[in-house]
Amino acid sequence: MSDKKEREPEIVGFACSYCSFKASEMAGSLRMKYPENVRVIQVPCSSRVDPAFVIKAIFEGADGVFVSSCHPGDCHFIRGNYYTRRKMAALKEMFKAFSMDGKVKLFWISAAEARKFIEKITNMYNELREEKNAGKKN
Amino acid sequence: MRIGIFICHCGHNIKSTVDIDKIKEFFTGSINITSVLDYPFLCSEPGQALIKNSIKNDKLERVVIAACTKSLHQDMFKSLVRNAGLNPFLLRRIGIREHCSWVGDDIEKNTVKAIKLIKAGIYSLAHYESLEEKLVEVNKSVLILGGGISGMSAAIFLARSGMEVYIAEKENELGGHLRHIKEIWPVRKQGREIIDKMKMTLKELKNVNIFTSSRLISFCGSFGNYQATLETPEGEKKITIGGLIVAIGFSPFDPSTKPELQYGIDKRIITTLDFENNMNISFKEGDRVAILHCIGSRDDSIGKTYCSRVCCINAIKTANYIKSQNKNTYVESFYMDVRSHPRGGEEFYEDTQEKGVFFTRANISEIIPEKTGVILRGEDTLLGMPFEREFDLVILSIGLSYPEDGHEIANLLKITLDKDGFFLEAHPKLRPYDTALKGIFIAGSCSGPKDMEESINHGRASAVKLYGLLNLGYTFVEPFIANVDTKRCSGCRVCEQVCVAKAINFDGNLHIVRVEEAACMGCGLCNATCPSSAISLKGYFDSFITDEISGLLEIA
Repeated sequence: MSDKKEREPEIVGFACSYCSFKASEMAGSLRMKYPENVRVIQVPCSSRVDPAFVIKAIFEGADGVFVSSCHPGDCHFIRGNYYTRRKMAALKEMFKAFSMDGKVKLFWISAAEARKFIEKITNMYNELREEKNAGKKN
Repeated sequence: MRIGIFICHCGHNIKSTVDIDKIKEFFTGSINITSVLDYPFLCSEPGQALIKNSIKNDKLERVVIAACTKSLHQDMFKSLVRNAGLNPFLLRRIGIREHCSWVGDDIEKNTVKAIKLIKAGIYSLAHYESLEEKLVEVNKSVLILGGGISGMSAAIFLARSGMEVYIAEKENELGGHLRHIKEIWPVRKQGREIIDKMKMTLKELKNVNIFTSSRLISFCGSFGNYQATLETPEGEKKITIGGLIVAIGFSPFDPSTKPELQYGIDKRIITTLDFENNMNISFKEGDRVAILHCIGSRDDSIGKTYCSRVCCINAIKTANYIKSQNKNTYVESFYMDVRSHPRGGEEFYEDTQEKGVFFTRANISEIIPEKTGVILRGEDTLLGMPFEREFDLVILSIGLSYPEDGHEIANLLKITLDKDGFFLEAHPKLRPYDTALKGIFIAGSCSGPKDMEESINHGRASAVKLYGLLNLGYTFVEPFIANVDTKRCSGCRVCEQVCVAKAINFDGNLHIVRVEEAACMGCGLCNATCPSSAISLKGYFDSFITDEISGLLEIA
């Protein structure tokens, strides 16, 4: 196999309408750059994210999935993101059995934190890219 | 199904980094896609007409608008679709500007991303169903955060128009920074005089409630019915308001963050604000005064690249004042560029030069306090020559920094800040007073440096816009509420336990749960929790999201 071209990971993200999706919009209007393979789905609250959606995305070929919500205590729906935190922790535990826990991430990003949004997803992208091209180094 | 796709060029904003012809080519002729059209500006009148005509002529059943992000122009596009005879909830907006063309540089990759985003949108849209918005009454009351000149101007207008007005000011007195200004250019009035006049007006109005030494501690709800909690000296106060204006102003730049300025170490180095506070400084003959422009503005090293707009005229005013106190003083102003932008500013600058104030274009690199005087070391940028001069007094013309508690307020209200820490408007040209949240407006210098006149204008404009929204008396609430499929519900009551809004009640007779529509907030937590998939959130069904995931990951 002489496929030297670097493989790029695909990332799907779920962002809540009130905080993280706003941050992603703001990152856009501030012309910040992030990899094209990161695509965001808007959900009303991070608690709307059924763990099944995360599994489905990985089944369909995503290399990484992130769920992004308001900071703890700042949820527009009062306690929604606490439920998300528990669900994601449980999901991560399950993924650990297959050494896949690096594929799932939970971020806390408020509407004002466009820079943090970019940092987090770029870091995640770089980590996954390294993993995806690990066998090609030699 | 008949789906119409409309792609906006947004001038060059989308077109320059996304190949629109390729997108059109990809979707034209696909199954269920009736028409694929593009236009330079879909939000313009001809653009709107294009969508409307296409919906009518092509008998579209679903509409995809790939343009700016969902929070911009949503009301306009919704009413457009409604006027064309289609349910507005059969419209799908795709943000190929904020989520694609502006965040990537590679045209090829961007085009693939745009195609995937649109495809995912269509997959999701196929499941959409008609919904009706709910009409609710709005509270004709407003909370104004910050009792500065901008907030007070807004309060006076709103109170006179019959709205119930609440003002929350964190200091123990209304007035903001203007209280400390001894002389306002060009009206030659004291700041206090103007503030006292406005305070009197507010006092006479019966529907104004002023809370001083108070701050906002919690905020929730939606337009027309926001619930805010204020922390006042008399304890917590809960109020229900229709809308809110953020007018928390600015924080003056603190020069001690730049140690080379020696501010706070030597008494002979003061800021323009200190100078205003001690206007009784007397000047002897031969006193040497230096005024430094652009302290805390246009300075990359401290991350403030913007121009603070008001400090040039402040510096000129100070120089002029010193010269008029004693014309035998030596006043030299060190500037980067003089931007005396308000009306009459340029003439005032010339007049000050004629009075004998020297203006030197220079970069000051060091300030060295000595016994005999303060030595300024720097470079004359016009001559390209280094210089060293001694002064008796150095006045720093400080700029405007972002408000100290801006981040806290932004997090509470869930509105955004720009890169400099000021509040971000919904659109810099078309909606300079609005935030992305309906009913929340910004006013005054919390949205960027402004002088007094601009702050008053901004405050009044925000007040007028908010009045326009509230005076209507009603608003529509998005009908995204949970719905129970009674056939599937097993009555396990898990959703009842998790529901934060307590909107789910158990019906013991039928052994199923029911949703109380008025209480449902629409978070979808119950939907994600239900083990039998019996409860689902309208507008965000499982199928919408799972198919969107498929669309995003399908190989194009």
